[in-house]
Amino acid sequence: MSKKNSLKFSVVRALAALGIALLLAFILIFVSAEGGSFGAKMSNSLAALQQMLLRPILKKSGKFAAKNFCDILAGMIPIMFTGLATCIMFAANQFNLGAEGGIMLGAFVTALVAIYAPIPGPLLIVVAILAGGLAVAVVMLIPSVLKAKLGVSEMVNSLMLNYVIMYILNFLMNSYLADRSKGITQTYAFRENAILPQIIDNGSRFSWGWAIGILVTILCWFFMYRTRWGYGIRMTGINQPFVMYSGMNVPLIIILCQVIGGFLAGMGGGIEMLGRYQYYNWSALPGYGWTGITVAILAGNNPIFVPLAAFFMSYLTKGCSLMSMNANVPAQLIDIIQAVIFLFFAAQQFLSGYRQKLVIRSAQEELAAKAASGERSDK
Amino acid sequence: MSEEYAIQMKGITKVYPNGTVANQDVNFNVRKGEIHALMGENGAGKSTLMKMLFGLEQPTEGEILVNGESVKLSSPTVAISKGIGMVHQHFMLVPSLTVAENMVLGMVPTRSGALIDYDKAVKITEEYSKRFNLKVDANAKVMDIPVGMKQKVEILKALVRGAKILILDEPTAVLTSQETAELFTELKSLKTQGYTLIFISHKLNEIMEITDRMTILRGGRSMGVHETKNVTPQEISRLMVGRDVVLKVDKDKAEPGATVLKVRDLEFVNEWGKKMLDKVSLSVRKGEILGIAGVEGNGQKELVDMLFGFETPNAGTITVNGVSTIGMNQRELREHHISLVPEDRMLYGIAATASIEENMISDRASDKRFNKGPLFNMAAIHEESKRLVKDYTVLCKSAQQQVGSLSGGNIQKVVVAREFSNDPVLIIADQPTRGIDVGATEFIRKKLVELSRSGIAVLLISADLNEVMELSDSLIIMCGGQIAAYFEDTENLTDDLMGRYMLGIEHQSPEEIRRVCHE
Amino acid sequence: MNIFTTAFFFSIFRIATPILFATLAAVIGEKGGVSNIGLEGIMMMSALFGSLTAYWTGQWWIGVLAAMVVGCAEALLMGFFAFKLKTDIILTGTAVNMIGSGGTLFLVKVITQATEGQSYASTTGLITKIHQIPSLNIPLIKDIPVIGKVISGHSILTYLAFILVWLTAVLLYKTPLGLNIRSVGENPNAASSVGVSVNKIRYITIGIGGILAGLGGAYMSMYYAMGWSLDMVAGRGFIALAAQSMGGGEPLGSMFAALIFGFAQALGIKVSSTGVDSNLVAPIPYIVTILALIVFALLQRRNEKKRHDNALQ
Repeated sequence: MSKKNSLKFSVVRALAALGIALLLAFILIFVSAEGGSFGAKMSNSLAALQQMLLRPILKKSGKFAAKNFCDILAGMIPIMFTGLATCIMFAANQFNLGAEGGIMLGAFVTALVAIYAPIPGPLLIVVAILAGGLAVAVVMLIPSVLKAKLGVSEMVNSLMLNYVIMYILNFLMNSYLADRSKGITQTYAFRENAILPQIIDNGSRFSWGWAIGILVTILCWFFMYRTRWGYGIRMTGINQPFVMYSGMNVPLIIILCQVIGGFLAGMGGGIEMLGRYQYYNWSALPGYGWTGITVAILAGNNPIFVPLAAFFMSYLTKGCSLMSMNANVPAQLIDIIQAVIFLFFAAQQFLSGYRQKLVIRSAQEELAAKAASGERSDK
Repeated sequence: MSEEYAIQMKGITKVYPNGTVANQDVNFNVRKGEIHALMGENGAGKSTLMKMLFGLEQPTEGEILVNGESVKLSSPTVAISKGIGMVHQHFMLVPSLTVAENMVLGMVPTRSGALIDYDKAVKITEEYSKRFNLKVDANAKVMDIPVGMKQKVEILKALVRGAKILILDEPTAVLTSQETAELFTELKSLKTQGYTLIFISHKLNEIMEITDRMTILRGGRSMGVHETKNVTPQEISRLMVGRDVVLKVDKDKAEPGATVLKVRDLEFVNEWGKKMLDKVSLSVRKGEILGIAGVEGNGQKELVDMLFGFETPNAGTITVNGVSTIGMNQRELREHHISLVPEDRMLYGIAATASIEENMISDRASDKRFNKGPLFNMAAIHEESKRLVKDYTVLCKSAQQQVGSLSGGNIQKVVVAREFSNDPVLIIADQPTRGIDVGATEFIRKKLVELSRSGIAVLLISADLNEVMELSDSLIIMCGGQIAAYFEDTENLTDDLMGRYMLGIEHQSPEEIRRVCHE
Repeated sequence: MNIFTTAFFFSIFRIATPILFATLAAVIGEKGGVSNIGLEGIMMMSALFGSLTAYWTGQWWIGVLAAMVVGCAEALLMGFFAFKLKTDIILTGTAVNMIGSGGTLFLVKVITQATEGQSYASTTGLITKIHQIPSLNIPLIKDIPVIGKVISGHSILTYLAFILVWLTAVLLYKTPLGLNIRSVGENPNAASSVGVSVNKIRYITIGIGGILAGLGGAYMSMYYAMGWSLDMVAGRGFIALAAQSMGGGEPLGSMFAALIFGFAQALGIKVSSTGVDSNLVAPIPYIVTILALIVFALLQRRNEKKRHDNALQ
């Protein structure tokens, strides 16, 4: 298929998936909307839909909603990192679902360093975040080495690790680390020099972590498309026997991509911590890992599209939360929309009939072009 | 008198959607109660013809009659209902089920309407087993029984479904000689009971022993029907093994140098305990092309697997420039400058959804010249891929195009470009031009000759006679896991002579064969 | 202190029951070549609808039935995406789990808003003793000392779960359907070459799995915990996958694996009742899962090597 037609197909397919998801969302909103008559329900649901789709960027007056927009950008931060982590692991066909536990562990380790390490100046930020990343990278050795050496499913192991991480962190919090002077379980405050500065200080927590996220995205793209290791990871995802036959080290690649994925998830947790909080108080898995999977699927496992996909998800999340505040539709609608978009995006046969048509048209165009150039050369 | 025929396939032509013409105006008639051989080289169109008879493919043109009645065989289920059964070369059995369970799959006898009547399944199995004198153990799991018995289960499966006409696709390929002898007794007994058998095989002695008549296919066309007792093996081999298109490749006489690849007394027993390589010894020298001819399945695949580290031999040695390569992985083999053009190019040769460029650098992605510190040196990579695309005349829009979107010939050129260009000392070319267009074929052949003349050792494995005879400086013929013959030069070789060795009619003396070791 | 009381052994069966349901779903799925990682989400969804239906009708058994129907429907929908639209089965399962987490919370809020006039974040306030799946005291056995106290007095579904172990074995090994499921899982070509419809069998396989997971969900929200709450299944659907492979994919073996998880968790609860932080014992089942998978892989590797060596001789 020509590049133009192939792009056209991707766009049509993406829009169709979004359309189906929004249609389903509307049906759910309609069902949950208040109002006695059909008309009242309809107008209420349209109002709710408006809250979800427009309010994140437009105020009622029609003006740009700067604060909401900052919230969206801030919301991108953790899911950019889990998205990148998932991209790199999925690119090698490694279904490691450990970004969820990874981001929690990274947040925790970063928090500890930020509280207890007497490191001067902004160096503390760097050390704390790297420590968070490294901790998760080390943990990801477990599922990855087991997969590479014993063929044990990385998926089940990474899922199990999510729970193990959560409970052990909660145990450490309860037993040793909590600030007992507070009513709820939280750590002592971070050192002042550990706090990530804000890009716009309006309470959105739109920190420089966002910029780091963009920077890491670019690095990830370079890693995946401009280094031999990223190349090996991508080729393994396409055809593992080919990679072995070509003389690359398949087990090493399987381990490498998960360790890097772990590092990114952990780093994301650390940045989220230092950019949004003054102390660590998570007691459950945050859900960013799952959203990260959606982000990676939407981005087609290409890091460069991660910010876009993360923006989209963050926008929808904000929209859903506005809708729940102002139109009384529960914010968790996002989880259903997300799952539906995800399912259709990942469906190989979705709109395959349409693709077939484009392929045929492409082939015909090519033949016509060839015939035309043939005539020319004959003359 | 159409009633005397069990099967009549009239004027069958099959064109696949990609344009391959597999059969062209083939007439194939099988009399009731005979054993009819269908012969031909790989790619002669036997499988396609039989797939159409079993409802797996539909003919583009032509008519099929079963017992004189014109039928449309739209699926195997229909074919089965018309009394046609097929014993596939790759068994259609479920390994963890017992023989009896496999027998009744899809037509399970039940008691009280819900549960499997296993006793009845066993009874059916034993009854058929006895009636046709095909001994099987009804209660054994299929994974635990020997290959020969698996085959009997396949035959019984067809019989129990009411087949009167049996297609046997290379039934002896996986059998030991005792098992083959046993099978033949059984097949003969089936024949006396009025069954019609279609027997696909390459093995001449088997054909001579068991069949009444034969149809020979070559290049998708029928070469006629013959009474087995009226033809000699030589005639058959001439009809079957023939060169249609002769692509001439000019080459100077080889001036072989030192030995590069040295294989001695290589043996390999596969996981079912069948000996696939039997004391194979050969040497390939600098600057020469050694060809390996032979009907497929005679140990060539296993030999390549040993040479490129996919399997470990049970005995024997392999050295390349004096270094033993047994136990090396593919990375180490490539570090020793050994290249392989793999037989299965879609499985090993390429990553289909990656670009041409990405496919061309897979063996050298870590080379210094393509890296600047941690990053790829994209300029160098682009330059390399551009150069290779040009040198190997890969027809594409750019090196960034997906390799899977290219034609077969161009895909193979990408594989070959990579394998030929990384300074190899030994190239193993396994069916390098199979299924690709004439232009690409000619190009790859010329390139192989050119490389060998520049001092590279080339081992060429090909089922295409024309190819091995044209390209090889000297050649060996493999048959039954052994080297059956060695020819120092290919000048005076005839198809006829080759065919006799390939089909096991003749076998050289050990001394003659030993000459390939150049000691 | 004595840990191993009759109450302790009783609790093993109580805890193992939901895992056992999901494990049987995984066993049938794997036999049919359908790896369903969405069991977790299916259990969440059916737990929710089971408890709601029981509350609306006042009948526990209608609730259980609803849970089975919902579980089956969701599984078939998974099948549609996986078999028809060719979405990777792992990603399909992941999506179902997403819906099972946040999506169920959305649904419970919306539904209770509509029916109760007030939005609840769980159904624990609605489910009372009358909606609970009844327990069964087995005559005679209940009077046997020690054993009676361990075996008798469980929920009806617990007994059903153990009966289902047997029924699953019968289904897989004694019925034509089971034969078809196993052959489709092992060699779809062989199955289709004798006229078995591979896709139909796959839908049936995943559908049965959905029903079993639905029972597990019903047990969770209508017996184990009284009412549905967010993330209440807590990885049991995933543990079931591990139990399946540890049990060698066979119903009986997998049942023992599920009991091991029940044991580990019961032990944890017991230990935590002595004052140890529950967070320290809660991860035990998950750690056991990882260890078990390693041990199983090592054993399997050894067996394969043995078989290979035998073939060479």
